[in-house]
Amino acid sequence: MNTTTFNRRDFIKAAGATAAFLPTFSVLSQEYKAETIGPAQDQVNVGVIGYGAEGQILVDAAIKIPGVRIKAVCDIWPYHRQKARGLGRLGHDVTSKTVYEDYREMLAKEDKNIDAVIIATPDWMHAEHTNYCLKAGKHVYCEKEMSNSLEKAASMVKAQRETGKILQIGHQRRSNPRYMHAINRVIRESNMLGRVTHAYGQWNRSVAPFIKDHPRLDIPIETLQKYGYENMEQFRNWRWFAKYGGGPMVDLGSHQIDLFFWVWDCVPISVTAIGGNDYYNRQMNDNVMAMYEFKTKEGKINRAYYQVLTTSSRGGFYEQFMGEDGSLTIAEIAARGNTVQREVRAGGPEESQWVEFAKQGLVVQPKKAVSREVTSNVAVDARVTAAADGWPLPVDLLKPAHMPHLENFFDAVRTNNPKLLNCPADLAYESAVAVLAANTSVAERKTIYFKPEEFHV
Amino acid sequence: MKHTGIMVAAVVAAGLVVSAEAQEKVQLKIELPKPQFTGTPKDIRSPNLEPARGGKPRPAIDVPAGADKVLSKDCKVTSSDPEPIIGELAFITDGDKEHDAATYVELGPGTQWVQVDLGAEKEVYAACVWHYHGEARVYRDVVCQISNDPDFIDGVVTVFNNDHDNSSKLGEGKEKEYIETNEGRPFAVNGVKGRYVRFSSKGNTSNEMNHYTEVEVYGKP
Repeated sequence: MNTTTFNRRDFIKAAGATAAFLPTFSVLSQEYKAETIGPAQDQVNVGVIGYGAEGQILVDAAIKIPGVRIKAVCDIWPYHRQKARGLGRLGHDVTSKTVYEDYREMLAKEDKNIDAVIIATPDWMHAEHTNYCLKAGKHVYCEKEMSNSLEKAASMVKAQRETGKILQIGHQRRSNPRYMHAINRVIRESNMLGRVTHAYGQWNRSVAPFIKDHPRLDIPIETLQKYGYENMEQFRNWRWFAKYGGGPMVDLGSHQIDLFFWVWDCVPISVTAIGGNDYYNRQMNDNVMAMYEFKTKEGKINRAYYQVLTTSSRGGFYEQFMGEDGSLTIAEIAARGNTVQREVRAGGPEESQWVEFAKQGLVVQPKKAVSREVTSNVAVDARVTAAADGWPLPVDLLKPAHMPHLENFFDAVRTNNPKLLNCPADLAYESAVAVLAANTSVAERKTIYFKPEEFHV
Repeated sequence: MKHTGIMVAAVVAAGLVVSAEAQEKVQLKIELPKPQFTGTPKDIRSPNLEPARGGKPRPAIDVPAGADKVLSKDCKVTSSDPEPIIGELAFITDGDKEHDAATYVELGPGTQWVQVDLGAEKEVYAACVWHYHGEARVYRDVVCQISNDPDFIDGVVTVFNNDHDNSSKLGEGKEKEYIETNEGRPFAVNGVKGRYVRFSSKGNTSNEMNHYTEVEVYGKP
């Protein structure tokens, strides 16, 4: 542990002592708080397990956060270990001596140098890696989905409870200020949409072939099999194999279905899904359509529909929440969704209530649509120019999409306060139950009914 | 498509009129790799980004007949980075433009360049550069220069430059930044003569590093 870590631990002790007196911050005050917890130079030393595409995205975002220092990287692929050495060129402490093939070796040799670990390995290894790190006394940021097995996901929740360490699951929308504003303030606090009876999410992608094996970069077969992978094709396309992942429904759906839980603050009572491996000759479903029924704490039934396609990008990816007074369309890329649509019945005369919402900073009042009378273009009808009726959200995210969630994690680490987390393991476990059940529903061709206790470990 | 009898007044950046004569023109045909975007899409903001093309391909480039040959295939490549992080410089002219972990070179942070030695002075009419096209990202300060001086001190002609704020100190560019795709970034060059073609960049919107999958230089052999 270097000298700055001593100061950090002193700080954590002090902060931990006061954590119990911290108020329950609103979501937006957490954004502010991120800049006020501790000195910016307060260093957190980080190890990384899994430096593939997602691991690189997380690290690229993490190193933009003041005080985050990458000390070591582990990956079973020599190519990724070589790539990780580039972090040394950016001033981090990753060299040929601090890249590892085996995570146990990294934890053993770097134990005193690492406070936290970022895990971005295939889903089937999340539990093993997370639990090992937690029990080694490290805080963990683990990519979603928690696991492709509920038993393994539950073991992560238990390991967190047993160790008391910080465990954040990578549903990064939970810390995105646009989503926090939309869901916490617009929907839940201000009730702008009235009762949200329905939700919709989709992620449609174009046809994409398997990533091809390239002899130049092959991992020796004995190394692959030592770590449980049958061959290079399966290693590089792990998301499509049941042993390693949950297919597109889990990869993509986990982000978006998690939002249904957030908006309604309850768990579903059933899921009915259809889908299949109808286009590719692969193990996992290449298309799934899932319908969820949620029962609110007030006893109301709300329904959500989710679709993931991998053979057409039509419509792209976004989420919609439809209420009696209005609907929210939002997407991780703002250009694909960032508005609230008012129902004509809502807002009172001259939409005065919504004008007031705009004054409160909840939405931006749109400019009046061009009326039929003042345009020479007879094809334009103000009544159907839907975009003109949208009330944009006033919040923007100018950082990489994963950065606020990592900031939230490091805030919790610095204060040793799991309550600060926007996506702790027990919360993420709830959506994991629902997401994995969609694949079960497809396989068994039947509705899966949930008991409330199934969502809790 | 062919254009005949067109009067062409090609003016290079140095201000020299190369020719003003009737020339037969042909459309440059660039073999494109497969589109390969993967992963979580990103919100890309840039003050100098070209408008979205809505999925339309880039306009074709017309070059004089006979000037549509790839001059750079398997040519020697050197770099400002003496130790690329991953990959080999030879990948840049090996003709493999597909996005894959095995096909690109990663250079360190800051302004970095790769330089293609055409072997002899050539008349260059177009070029195309593919950085990393596995996700939507924008490379900063993309500059292409041509010279007969391997050190790029004398006789340097800048033929593409989108460094709008001159942060790479190669001059202020008027071109727009663009989102990297499988199309790469092709551009016309207008018959500039030189042996060496240098491509520069300064990181990208995803990270600080510089990546090159392939460059192609087109002209008269």
